[in-house]
Amino acid sequence: MAERDRLGRREFLLRTARAAGIAGPTLLLLEGRVSAIEKSEASDLEILYASLTLEHHAIALYDEGLKRNLFPAGLRRYAVDFRGDHLGHRDTQIAIAEERGGRPPRPLASYDFGSLGSGDHLLREAMRIELAAQDAYRALISQIRSQDYMLAAAFVLVDEVRHLTVWRRVLGMKIY
Amino acid sequence: MTDYASPREVFAAVDGFASEVESRLRAVAGRAPLSRKLALSFLGDHERHRRQRAALLVRLGLAAAPPLPPAPAADASLDGLRTAQDALVLAHAEGLSALGDAKAVDVMAQHMVDHSRHLTLIDLWLEQEQPNG
Repeated sequence: MAERDRLGRREFLLRTARAAGIAGPTLLLLEGRVSAIEKSEASDLEILYASLTLEHHAIALYDEGLKRNLFPAGLRRYAVDFRGDHLGHRDTQIAIAEERGGRPPRPLASYDFGSLGSGDHLLREAMRIELAAQDAYRALISQIRSQDYMLAAAFVLVDEVRHLTVWRRVLGMKIY
Repeated sequence: MTDYASPREVFAAVDGFASEVESRLRAVAGRAPLSRKLALSFLGDHERHRRQRAALLVRLGLAAAPPLPPAPAADASLDGLRTAQDALVLAHAEGLSALGDAKAVDVMAQHMVDHSRHLTLIDLWLEQEQPNG
């Protein structure tokens, strides 16, 4: 079994966040080592940056799967739809960060998705990144200071839950 | 879009929308064994959420709201359930930033996650019931 299949849910999220350079109080929150941080403009920017790393990762995965035509035919429309959502999340959060004078992170030069040799492998990767995104927004949303960003994050979280639920159902996992 | 001004307004809206969804879930539960299982699972989440909202009212020093009158008997249409469920999700999303308390946001965000999952399952159910679904 591939190493990523052995990684726990949180470990995948943390590995993704660390690889993108997320550190400090936001990483402590994601690690579960603290339950709250001191809210400030800077902490909102850290949360924005952590969220953006996951959005970049998700967009790259959907891009790769769509470009290589790896999504099963009946599921391609979901992948196109979800990719569009992630692009919207990315653009919204970049705009919020830049309004605050931040310098939002750019995508990594490359992402390690493993072989992605089959549709099933790709769907599991998609589910994994959606789960990481849901967990991250879920963990971070109560620590957001500004009301406009909290509102935006709430709508992003609703989308992440939708994506995750669809992939879990497709993969025959428990959904209720 | 609703601009909630206080936690009280958020809880009142959520209580109202949740009550309508529950009424519709009870109606939908009679459609088929599978829909009954799904509806009962969702109603179980609603019951847990209600208890947790009551605890949040205490935490925030707000008096418990008077019990809502029983929701009128709802039709068993999935479209109607979908509309009510969407309103419930929206009330959570728009209400989080008016709560003003990190613990309350944390709890209500988890409820929003549950309701978003319910909404997606209703959408998938609707897709299945469409002639070409």
